[in-house]
Amino acid sequence: MMIKLIASLKKEALLLLSDKVGLIVMFIMPILLVFVMTIIQDSAYKMVNENKISLLISNQDNGEQGDKLVQLLDESGLFDLAEISISEPNELKQVLLEDNKLTALYIPENFSSELLNKADQISRTMTFELGLIDEKPANTSVQLSSLNFYTDPVLQENYSYSIIRVISSLLNTIENELMIGSIYSEVGIEHSPDNFKEQIKSNQVVINQIPATNSEKMGQPNSTQHNVPAWTIFAIFFMVVALGSNIVKERINGSFLRLKTMPTNYIHILSSKMLVFLVVASLQFLVIFSIGIFIFPLINLPQLVLPSSSMAFIATTFICSLAAVSYAIMIGALAKTQEQSNGIGAISIIIFAALGGIWVPTFVMPEYLKIISELSPMHWCLEGFYILFLKDGSWGELSSVFGFLLLFTAFCQIITYLKLKFEKIL
Amino acid sequence: MNLDLSHIELNSISKRYKTALIDSLSNVSFQIKSGDKVGFLGPNGAGKTTLISILCGLIEPTTGTVGYHAKDGAQITGVDLKKILGFVPQDHAFYHELTPMQNLAYFGSLYNLSRQEIKTRSHSLLSVLGILDVANQKINTFSGGMKRKVNLAIGLIHRPKILFLDEPTVGVDVQSKLSIIKFLNEINSKGTTIIYSSHHLSEAEDFCSQIVMIDKGSLMAHGATSELIELHKVKNLQTLFIKLTESK
Repeated sequence: MMIKLIASLKKEALLLLSDKVGLIVMFIMPILLVFVMTIIQDSAYKMVNENKISLLISNQDNGEQGDKLVQLLDESGLFDLAEISISEPNELKQVLLEDNKLTALYIPENFSSELLNKADQISRTMTFELGLIDEKPANTSVQLSSLNFYTDPVLQENYSYSIIRVISSLLNTIENELMIGSIYSEVGIEHSPDNFKEQIKSNQVVINQIPATNSEKMGQPNSTQHNVPAWTIFAIFFMVVALGSNIVKERINGSFLRLKTMPTNYIHILSSKMLVFLVVASLQFLVIFSIGIFIFPLINLPQLVLPSSSMAFIATTFICSLAAVSYAIMIGALAKTQEQSNGIGAISIIIFAALGGIWVPTFVMPEYLKIISELSPMHWCLEGFYILFLKDGSWGELSSVFGFLLLFTAFCQIITYLKLKFEKIL
Repeated sequence: MNLDLSHIELNSISKRYKTALIDSLSNVSFQIKSGDKVGFLGPNGAGKTTLISILCGLIEPTTGTVGYHAKDGAQITGVDLKKILGFVPQDHAFYHELTPMQNLAYFGSLYNLSRQEIKTRSHSLLSVLGILDVANQKINTFSGGMKRKVNLAIGLIHRPKILFLDEPTVGVDVQSKLSIIKFLNEINSKGTTIIYSSHHLSEAEDFCSQIVMIDKGSLMAHGATSELIELHKVKNLQTLFIKLTESK
């Protein structure tokens, strides 16, 4: 029995080593994907957090508040400002497109006067309500004219919203300052104290972003912690191309028939395939994770931080590998030709990846798609690695992940068994 | 258990595949004695491969039985039968990405042969078949004839007592064909029963001691080659085959 198993393992290893395309698909492709995706996402992160956003400003305001807004935008440090004098808003749109700027802001000529009118009206109402003045203010509403914010169509919607929120926040500061000044004026104090204005500006509540992890070690989530596990999962499932076609080839080239006439059992031949490809999956994890740990810091990418629980990490790696190998064997058993195995295998993996949140996080998906995504084994693999790599989670948190992946593995193994039994191979 | 073969007995074998409208084999019965060189002859689609597949246990007959009888009267079945049976399919049933030595090592180990036994036997087989010089080269660079020889060597690595060959000389050049036939004669002289299928009647006439002639799934003639030619008063197997199919 051992002689047969060792010989089968050796044969599978030799076949695998001779399959250059399969090795490229299993090792080189995911390494490239991990590099490219992490660099892209890291650049996007740096663009938002470290680089300045180009903002073209046409300030047509006749008063002081337009200049103040420009000053606050400049002091925020988020924007690379370029002022331009254009009286027609539509012309600014044209300049934005021609100058390859991402955003532009048009401040209308009556911006200050309308803000002051609004502040005066609110402060008069307030002082009357407080009994500080006797004359009831007229009940007229002041319409503020809007600021026009132009964006390059290539700019993503959520990115534009973030910039609008920053501008709104600065406008609030100006409005508050004007209102306080106006209240002081209503009660007969000509100038509100400067330090009071400063306090309004500086006394903003600081929001601390704290990731809900179980350990301080994990730090802020970053592109590496997201991408390395995600694309490694994609890579191990892509072994369906090599393993699936390996099984189909054996079935159609007559080796299968020959094996049926020999004193051996196909179960141990399948077992040897499983063992070899489990080792391959472990190597994929080892290689790609090592790149995350040792190579990424050398090219200014965040270093991959491994979770605290080594055993939970190893168990998750094993269960994901087992699910991937079982799926590949099932495709190999069901397919009639290598073309079928490669086509169905590769396309199904891409669909599993899309549904599983490898490309787009599942939380942005519509509700019905979130339910469907739970049928993807990659969703559960990714969930398992996110629990470990982003939350530094424990065994208990991994129970649903292990539960689904074991069910999925059992399903694939049963289908394989029934198909081979039906074909009288087992 | 004594695995010395006395004879193989086929009783009323019929086979109809699931989607077929007619039988691939119909009520076929005959015996094969140990040490015979038996040729299953007939045109393409006659039922030769089906008959070999049933004898090897690859498929079950729809009706009828196959019995492998040992010299002590017992039936040889299951794993015992697989140990003494060698099968050389029509396809190149091995791993083309590996070398002949690697293939022989793998298939030999499935018979629980030791590493040393496999090495000695592989060396000997490849040498006799004339492909020892390419023993460590990948098979996917080989010619059709060389691949046939590797196919044959794999079927013989465990020194089977019964060897089934399905069209072993198809697509092979004359030199390779002659060397394969010569080699088969050598192993038969050492006691291996050879059962082979072919549609080359002249090749079978030279090689086989017994003939089983099949057409459209029915047994047309069975017996010693020379006796059949004499009995039907014909020049050779080819004319015998034409005579039998015309009369049918």
